[in-house]
Amino acid sequence: MINSLAGNYRDLCDLLIKSTELLEKNGQHLDTVLETLDLQQHSLGMLAVLSIKLSLPPPSPNSNQPQVSDYQEIVFTQVQEFIMGCNAEQIRYAPETFAELCDMLTRQLIEAKSPLRGIELLCCAIRKLQLSDSELTLVHANLCLLCLLAKCFKPALQFLDIDITSIPPQDGFPFDVKHFLIYYYFGGMVYTAVKKYDRALYMFEAVISTPAMAVSHIMLEAYKKYILVSLVLHGKVSHMPKYTSQVVTRFIKPLSLAYHDLATVYATNNTEEVRLAVTKYSDTFTRDGNIGLTKQVVASLYKKNIQRLTKTFLTLSLSDVASRVQLSSPAEAERYILNMIDEGEIFATINQKDGMVVFHDDPEKYNSPGMLCKLEEEMTICTDLDRQIQRMEEEIMVNPQYVKKACGAQDDDLTTGQTSKISTYSM
Amino acid sequence: MTLDNLNTVAAELEKQELQAQGGVSSPLLYTKLLAIYLYQNDLCNAKFLWKRIPSSVKAGHPELELVWSVGRAMWKRDAPAVFTALNGTQWSENVGPIMRSLVGKVRERGLRLVAQAYSSLSIDTCSSLLGLSPSEVVEFANQQGWGVDDNKMMISPVRPPPPITHITSSEDQLHKLTDFVAFLEN
Repeated sequence: MINSLAGNYRDLCDLLIKSTELLEKNGQHLDTVLETLDLQQHSLGMLAVLSIKLSLPPPSPNSNQPQVSDYQEIVFTQVQEFIMGCNAEQIRYAPETFAELCDMLTRQLIEAKSPLRGIELLCCAIRKLQLSDSELTLVHANLCLLCLLAKCFKPALQFLDIDITSIPPQDGFPFDVKHFLIYYYFGGMVYTAVKKYDRALYMFEAVISTPAMAVSHIMLEAYKKYILVSLVLHGKVSHMPKYTSQVVTRFIKPLSLAYHDLATVYATNNTEEVRLAVTKYSDTFTRDGNIGLTKQVVASLYKKNIQRLTKTFLTLSLSDVASRVQLSSPAEAERYILNMIDEGEIFATINQKDGMVVFHDDPEKYNSPGMLCKLEEEMTICTDLDRQIQRMEEEIMVNPQYVKKACGAQDDDLTTGQTSKISTYSM
Repeated sequence: MTLDNLNTVAAELEKQELQAQGGVSSPLLYTKLLAIYLYQNDLCNAKFLWKRIPSSVKAGHPELELVWSVGRAMWKRDAPAVFTALNGTQWSENVGPIMRSLVGKVRERGLRLVAQAYSSLSIDTCSSLLGLSPSEVVEFANQQGWGVDDNKMMISPVRPPPPITHITSSEDQLHKLTDFVAFLEN
């Protein structure tokens, strides 16, 4: 049955889906089936058998079967060999089953408390599924999850750093929005962890501005983090993009009161009150897993207040800085300023002899070759983006469904014969 | 091992860590990777590496803790503690070259910061930021052409000139300009 590999993978997929029940019933013989299959030639068959095997509970350990942990180890090795060696062309016919396999593997590794082991495997899985670097797959979110749990972010960053430009449909069905949201949510968390707040904000923004008919939990959590990251980065809550769905703006605010209160207090620039607000809502923040971020928010207010001083004063004594920013001593003020100079967040010089600090203007005169280089880079990004949008628009223009809708009903009979399957859902 | 190819070494170690049997690597790998992250001033990754090392490995290999004590001090921007931790330890062959050159690296960063952030500072502050003794600081300041006042209490650093950036060839510039105009025209 499974060896019916005459090159027609599409039919094979249908057949495999139909034989799921048969395979499930014969759980104990799956290994025998696997042995008869060739990794390269029968990737689809192996995929079906393996995913059934993973979904079945491990055999009871009292018989002569190996222990549960040993069994899982054997399964892991089998899956590892499969993902590393399978034929990419074949598995792209069944991306959903493949992603399911990865998902089950992810859950198993999390249960076994060794998320690190799956990272490389999932990287490989994504590369096999992808036709281009900027394509989102169902495995992306799983990789981010494993990286977060393993506290190892570099492997996820190599994918996150590439902006997604296309999302392929899965077996003709549209890509489930849940995977999309979760990928961006986890991505935002990864960037927050490595303190790349601008990218993190972008990721969370992508989550909350996704068109929606109802508020999902992922969106709600992303919105909470969006507020906090926005405060850390910009010192205020950035406006949500105009294209954000109405439901989000209407329903999400009452659900995240603590965060809005914090933002309101933050706007008064009073560090003491921000501290109080954080203590007041610490239960909520801890429950949401955002307590670390709120500490960053408090720290950022000191910096923001020092930055505000530079707008008013040219020179100020360190003790004045300390009292205005509510720091405990001139020495602490000096330390803050020193760190900020190091980070390039303010331009100032400290004079220890007189205990003064002199604030400067940004020394960038926008006339250096370096700045020109930067400008050119930004322009390249913009032109590339424009080309990308044009390409997508052209794709939509020739889409039968779109043409049908746009031209109205008068030329209905022209399109009825065609299959209206959209080749690529793009964003 | 030379210090030039640390990036490749780091990438190799990262890969080995991901491929490790059972998800746990050797203590030597962890120590070396941690040291390299510190050398690259990649404190975020260093911190998370420290967090993901299993506690059994930490307990069995005290040098890991010592390397991280340097990292912790760097994270807190506690310059004196960085130098104490760096100089107070006899490093093993595994990380010795990296940790010894890390001293220079940290001092170099401290130097840049001092020159940028202070118009005058006490010799004590300077010596703690650079990890040098007060007499070394005076000698060093004279070398750099920084002013030292008469009773040897204050130093006035000179701001460094802005770094000279590379200038791209005019041909290259012309090419970019052509691209840009072509884009606008279409």
